Amino acid sequence: MRVFGSQELFEDVVSHDLCIGCGACVNLCPYYKSYKGKTARIFPCDISKGRCYAYCPKAEVDLDELTKEIWNRPYDGSPLGNYRQILASRAGKKMQKGLFQAGGTVSALVTFALKNSMIDGATLTGREELTPVPHLVTDWQDAAKYASSKFMAAPTLAAVNGAVAKGYNRLGVVATPCQATAVAQMRLNPLADKDFADPVALTIGLFCNWSLGTRQLTELISQKLDIAGIAGMYIPPPPAGIMILETADGRVEIPLSEIKPLIPSTCFICPDMTSEFSDVSVGMLEGRRGWNTLIIRSEKGADLVENADRKGYLETEELPQKTVAHLSRAAGEKKARALRILIRRDLVNNGEGRRSAVRIPPQIVKKILNQS
Amino acid sequence: MENTALLCDPYNVIITGVGGQGNVMASRVLGHMLSYKGLQVTIGETFGASQRGGSVMSHLRISKASAWSPQIPKGKAHMVIALEPIEALRVLAVYGNPNTRVLCNIRPIQPVSVISGDSDYPSPEFLEQGIAELTENAWFVNVTNAAAKIGNPIFGNIMMIGALAAVGNLPLNREDFKATISRTMASDKVEENLSAYDMGVQMIHS
Amino acid sequence: MSHLIDGKPGSRHLLMGNEAIARGALEAGVKVAAGYPGTPSSEIIENLASVSADRNLYVEWSVNEKVAMEVTAAASFAGLRSLCVMKQNGVNVASDFLLHLAGSGTRGGIVIVPCDDPGALSSANEGESRHFARLVEIPLLEPGDFQEAKDIIKWAFELSEEVRNPVMVRSVTRLSHASGNVTFGDLPIPDATAYFKHDGPPLDPMQGVMLSYPVAIKHQRQQQKLQQAIKRFEQSPFNTYSGPQDPGLLVIASSACYLYCKEAIHLLGVNKRVGLLKLGTTWPLPARLIERHLTGCEKILVVEEVLPFLEEEVKILAAELARKIGIKTFYGKKDGSLPMVGELNPDLVVAALSNILGVNYEAVPEIYAGRAAELARAAAPVRDLTFCPGCPHRASFWSIHSALQLDNRQGFVCGDIGCYSLAMLPSGYSTLKTLHSMGSGTGLASGFGKLDRYGMAQPAVAVSGDSTFFHAVLPALVNAVHNNSNFLLVVLDNSGTAMTGFQSHPGLPTDAAGNMAPGIDIPTVCEAIGAKVVVCDPFDLQQTQQTMLRLLEDKDSVSVLVLKQICALSPEKKAKKTYEMKVEQTICLGENCGCNRLCTRVFKCPGLNWDKDKRVSRIDEVICAGCGVCASICPAGAITKQEVS
Repeated sequence: MRVFGSQELFEDVVSHDLCIGCGACVNLCPYYKSYKGKTARIFPCDISKGRCYAYCPKAEVDLDELTKEIWNRPYDGSPLGNYRQILASRAGKKMQKGLFQAGGTVSALVTFALKNSMIDGATLTGREELTPVPHLVTDWQDAAKYASSKFMAAPTLAAVNGAVAKGYNRLGVVATPCQATAVAQMRLNPLADKDFADPVALTIGLFCNWSLGTRQLTELISQKLDIAGIAGMYIPPPPAGIMILETADGRVEIPLSEIKPLIPSTCFICPDMTSEFSDVSVGMLEGRRGWNTLIIRSEKGADLVENADRKGYLETEELPQKTVAHLSRAAGEKKARALRILIRRDLVNNGEGRRSAVRIPPQIVKKILNQS
Repeated sequence: MENTALLCDPYNVIITGVGGQGNVMASRVLGHMLSYKGLQVTIGETFGASQRGGSVMSHLRISKASAWSPQIPKGKAHMVIALEPIEALRVLAVYGNPNTRVLCNIRPIQPVSVISGDSDYPSPEFLEQGIAELTENAWFVNVTNAAAKIGNPIFGNIMMIGALAAVGNLPLNREDFKATISRTMASDKVEENLSAYDMGVQMIHS
Repeated sequence: MSHLIDGKPGSRHLLMGNEAIARGALEAGVKVAAGYPGTPSSEIIENLASVSADRNLYVEWSVNEKVAMEVTAAASFAGLRSLCVMKQNGVNVASDFLLHLAGSGTRGGIVIVPCDDPGALSSANEGESRHFARLVEIPLLEPGDFQEAKDIIKWAFELSEEVRNPVMVRSVTRLSHASGNVTFGDLPIPDATAYFKHDGPPLDPMQGVMLSYPVAIKHQRQQQKLQQAIKRFEQSPFNTYSGPQDPGLLVIASSACYLYCKEAIHLLGVNKRVGLLKLGTTWPLPARLIERHLTGCEKILVVEEVLPFLEEEVKILAAELARKIGIKTFYGKKDGSLPMVGELNPDLVVAALSNILGVNYEAVPEIYAGRAAELARAAAPVRDLTFCPGCPHRASFWSIHSALQLDNRQGFVCGDIGCYSLAMLPSGYSTLKTLHSMGSGTGLASGFGKLDRYGMAQPAVAVSGDSTFFHAVLPALVNAVHNNSNFLLVVLDNSGTAMTGFQSHPGLPTDAAGNMAPGIDIPTVCEAIGAKVVVCDPFDLQQTQQTMLRLLEDKDSVSVLVLKQICALSPEKKAKKTYEMKVEQTICLGENCGCNRLCTRVFKCPGLNWDKDKRVSRIDEVICAGCGVCASICPAGAITKQEVS
């Protein structure tokens, strides 16, 4: 990983609109802060190598290096990344019914992990009006409060950095793909700190095709209704073509044609649909409301799922091959699309003296472009 | 009237320091001391924005003949009284000549650029050597420390006046000083200031 | 400053130019003096205020220069001698009234003293007041040294009463703020009766009404007044000549430039070849006097600051007289002998004279000059201007800058005039993105706040001091509210007109003479106008930033955030520390912290030093003012504050 400093982060990411507001650079120092969904640089800093740049998922991400460190194998560009098993899952009997938008798998896993002290804290994302707000949760009974997708880029990793500074060293992080990539870079100890110990014990990744800018979404929805009264947000799978808002006065539908222009352009350079650098990844299961798709990647993830299942916090089922193929195709298409845009914007594999957003072995680049 | 002979006419003195050090006060006291002897004094000052931590100068022209330009011409300073050492160098670069004499307080006041780490403050040795190289005579004193000891940084300026009198290039003496300050200060203040003046004299004679 | 009235007639004093002018006003029997603080003019009103009780004067710090001139004019209409004082910009502000005053005429002598700032030593411009004399057509005088600064005032009052019009006496920084020897004259008995006679024949200058109407008649009278002034100018003791009978080169100078020319001639030793005509009556020019001097020479060098005002007037005369006196060669600004910008000094005049006369001059041996410059470059780091230790503006701009960055919509601050103008510099976090004249920050923001219809999504912020607020911000604020503009005005209320020496203003409970006076409350005024008002302490960084962030999101109204905290240099505050500050050496990790020296590299208070040996921060107890703000800055909490009992 090539590491640079705050100034380069500002030039490469912030000034070029690549910032997704994940919070990886926030709470490390006085200079980068998050406010209403956007990451701001308060003053310039002239340190030449910083964790801010190292952690950023949009700056010098070396996918081959990351895959070798995390998965002990080279990056092969496969659509779903490294995994052991893909199942259907949902919250088990021990979890309170009716709380969940889809399957409730994430809440179940987090609750279980906290209750059984697998983690000393979980960084989850809540919402204040429409603004996503990161929370460090230590009580397992609070975990389910943060259920349901926020559909917006959230500075969750700011809470991770804050927790690490406070001394938490077995954190559970619920992360979008960009956030999971940042966490993976974090765990590599990129600045070779002698006193480093990996503070993240568990990463639960989420599926994501795109997210929405907080400020723009707030403005759009505020024009239609009182955002204080929004109880829930949901985007059903295609072909629905709408975003559904659950309010006190009933259900409001907004056509996706109004929503999609609010996708930050940086989402289009993201090659990861299923959070390839997490222990497990969870997403919707098309065609089965009330269930999730669950990808188990690491041994730790496998153990977690097995124990949660056994203890009644999680229910799992086999997933038909057709469903997996469908998921794989979607993920492969996102990867290829992203790569084409990365190439067009001159952000991949740049030579000496020029920085990149992503580095992928050239033969894998070809492979990804061909397999779509 | 006592001796009011001048080494040069006009005799040019620059008092320099950092805004807030009491430059102006020193130049006034000195100006009044000399004016009271019947000499014609012209003083040029920098006010206003430069007081906010910037470099300041007072130019004094002492003459028997008339008023002169409030700005001393380049290279024509006979005596430089520096309340801060890098200001001495800055002044010598424009107004100094090989015959200039310098009376310099060596206590540094760091510019904001040094404080913030953007530039370095030169070593005392470099400063003393540099100033000595550019002058006929240089006297280095630490009036800041001495003034702190007697309770008020502003006494540093009075000490410089005492030191200047002791150097002997201008018709200045203790009686002139006492007469001047007695006109504007209460008698208890006069005593304090006279002590400071004497300390300044001592710094040159020792 | 009672030394101004203590001295006996004939006694000799060392006075600042402004003190000489004040003494001149006293000797002329001035009764009313008004002005607005502005460097380099402020000491004139301050000195008069300090003797106002003794001399039965009314002295006022007016809300702005326009009103100051109106107050002065009232005294004149009522038969009293009055003085109006300002810096060069003030004439711009007062000019509309001055134009009409010159039309209506005056009664008791009225002298306007603008103090210009060539070289902009304490200004954001080096505009000039001289041109206004020509523009509004009133006589212009310029003293050339300190004795003249005093004597010319009385002469100006006499002239003003003779022509029944205001007279402008223009000073510059290098006279106003310089000092020289002055011999006192008599002080008149301080009595006076004010009465405004207005019911006589309307066109009678002493008994009728004071109007600039009918314009044709009044303007015609103005021309006659100027002719009368010229007659006086031909005999004025303030036009002096020294040098040979028929000099090869005639130098014409006015104001402080006279002293530079005198010095330059002396340095070059050319006083037998060069004549020096010092003009004290510089508009309209006394044609016969000029003609006499132009006749005897071939070459003329005009030395003045800043623009070639005098040079052009002399050239016009020379053209008119050409048939009589022949064609002359002129040197000055227009031919490049002297620079068109900045202040002059003896060396610039020497360079011009050297060139014209073909005389060599070396101020200092080249080797010395080179070596001295080298040493200064190596060892004399520049002293940037910065806010004083304990200045509330440092805290305010820290919060304003941080809030705008967090808000993240490329918002900006329209600056205004005062100590807080320094926020255009790095030590004020380069926050100001525009800076013009008094009150213009709010006017600009009012304009920016209407551009949302063209897609402007950047929040506009204006800053204003408490004195500036009353001077010129009020009309702009009214404009903004009435026109439904949307922006945030931050009033930096440090309880005084600080930059110019901490004078009082209408927001404070004292007047120029130090008497009790009703203070007008800024928040109340803003609410009455219809703005949304919040008051915070800028030393409470968190509260200030959160409030600002909230107000920045308001898209509907004009908001006013008053940041109230007294100036560190105010007499009440001076030298009293609220806190004893300390950097805990066990907590400050210096460069190992990862904070990239936020306190010394960014915050930049002179009281916080970077110890290059120990590589940590430390407090300089001599400079630290004990305001406590830096304790909130350090991300590691290494800076502690302890309340001083």
